[in-house]
Amino acid sequence: MTSALLVQSAIIGVSIGSIYILMALGLTLMFGMMHIINFAHGAVYMLGAFVIYYVFFQSGVPYFAAFLLAMILLGAFGYVVERGIYRPIKGGIEPTLVALLALTTFLQAAGYPVFGQLDKHVPPVFAGTRNILGVTVSVERLMIIPIAGALVVGLYLFINKTRLGGAMRAIEQDKEAAALQGVNVDRINGLAFGVGFALAAAAGALMAPIFKLDPMMGEQPLLKAFIIIILGGLGSIPGAILGGLMLGLIDSIVATALGAEPAFLLSFVFIILVLLFKPTGLFGYAAR
Amino acid sequence: MPLGEQMRRVTPLVLVVALALALLVPLLGSAYYLHVFALVFTNVILAASLRPSLTCGQLNIGHSGFMCVGAYTSALLAKHWAVPFELSLLSGAVLAAVVGLAIGYPSLRLRGVYFAMVTVAFVEVIRLIAAIWVPLTRGNSGLSGIPKPNLLGMTLTTKTSQYYLVVALTVITLLVLWKLERSRLGLIWKSIGMADHLAQSLGVNIAAYTLLAFTIGCFFAGVAGAFYAHFIRFLFPPEFGFLVATNILVYNFVGGRGHFVGPIVGAIFLSLLSEPFRGSAYETIFFSIAMLVTILFLPGGLITLPGKLSGFRWRRAAAAPTPSPAG
Repeated sequence: MTSALLVQSAIIGVSIGSIYILMALGLTLMFGMMHIINFAHGAVYMLGAFVIYYVFFQSGVPYFAAFLLAMILLGAFGYVVERGIYRPIKGGIEPTLVALLALTTFLQAAGYPVFGQLDKHVPPVFAGTRNILGVTVSVERLMIIPIAGALVVGLYLFINKTRLGGAMRAIEQDKEAAALQGVNVDRINGLAFGVGFALAAAAGALMAPIFKLDPMMGEQPLLKAFIIIILGGLGSIPGAILGGLMLGLIDSIVATALGAEPAFLLSFVFIILVLLFKPTGLFGYAAR
Repeated sequence: MPLGEQMRRVTPLVLVVALALALLVPLLGSAYYLHVFALVFTNVILAASLRPSLTCGQLNIGHSGFMCVGAYTSALLAKHWAVPFELSLLSGAVLAAVVGLAIGYPSLRLRGVYFAMVTVAFVEVIRLIAAIWVPLTRGNSGLSGIPKPNLLGMTLTTKTSQYYLVVALTVITLLVLWKLERSRLGLIWKSIGMADHLAQSLGVNIAAYTLLAFTIGCFFAGVAGAFYAHFIRFLFPPEFGFLVATNILVYNFVGGRGHFVGPIVGAIFLSLLSEPFRGSAYETIFFSIAMLVTILFLPGGLITLPGKLSGFRWRRAAAAPTPSPAG
């Protein structure tokens, strides 16, 4: 592998990693508060991409407006899922996981009759290429990094600087104590669902102009996000960010050298090793 | 528990009647029905083999991966080395169990969600291996030319004989799993699923027993896979994906996790009802709606329906009292 190729795949790795981070952040946030894994995250990513297809490409709405709309619509959907599925099950972890699994397969399968059997494509939003460190990278992929970065910073500020974010952290530390302090646990859980779904929608909306769109497109990013949160430690937000960057880089560099499938197999072997030797995640986060 | 007592007396009767009906299917005289019911029984084996690890409170969303291991192992042994069916089936099942052990050992020591996520990724890994190891598996062109099953040197050429074979395999599987569930081991599994910290404080080695439950399940998933391979005689990696694994889970939840007959009822009911749209997107839509409706409105599954209808609740506890991990 030449050094130019290495730099190029590193840049692409960071950009793919940013997408993974957006996916993993919602998952890890929801796990920290509710001890559930949202299997529907991949399907939400897919829906985010299809919002871009229909609203931006088909209806001609400006890209950023469509992007925000995807986040708002799917964020609201997240709240509805909390209300309609998570809350009625009343904290039974297993039934909740299975219900979310059912929601996932429903959204994926329903995607075929609703969106059609053929793959969809969204034309590029940011055309052209840019020269960085002597290699050429498409602006489309480069733009992912600042947008995702802004969302990550926004999430960080929201969680650490606002009252609602404080309520989320309180629930993460101790649900009962938070409730005793007057935190409306149900509503804040709903908010966490909304935020998680909105971030997944953002990830899908960013990827829409790059990959082809089909109802199963969320499966791979979901698996990657699983790997990331296992690497970073379930519930850890810094772990999700570092893990995402790492996996993005490994993925892109190994995939360039060996192909996409061996890269995935390698990351699976990697998580098995992590589970064997460092089960709390690479960064030593103690899952509560 | 008088109602549990009632269930215990009714269960053998239900199973005997079901078996009698199953043996009558060939009298319908239609190869189509034989084919459909043979697949239904394959699903029964898969559903019942997921039950031990579910009883321990572990959500395995990758069961079809172990079915895939059993299927390819048995098919390749029989095709390339003319290994007799009895032996190839056993090898497939053993290899599935060994792979299960290797995956389960690191991931089962942790809380349930880790395991659930690892199994999801595992299905994808197995599917990818089957797809890219082209010299061995023929990859995504599919493995064809798998010999029909044989017993004691006699090839089972007719659909009827193959159907009786799967009925026999199902009966053996169910008997073994039922015996295990009623034994001391089954009790330990149940205690782990109901309150793992309490069980641990009583000296139960949770990790070892959970791993055993999971490995036994993988073994029988391998049995189902091996039969499937020699019955359909064509293997195609995408057929063992995440969706099939989810379906196996759905059989258990829709049938009901409170009793041994739950997964059996679930597998028969759902496989027969979804038969008209097998293979289309509507099959999945049907499964997922059945699943959501069951979890939200009938958390104990179909087996609690007669009790609810006749006004008395068989086992409210059937809704699996998952211990709250809070704190």
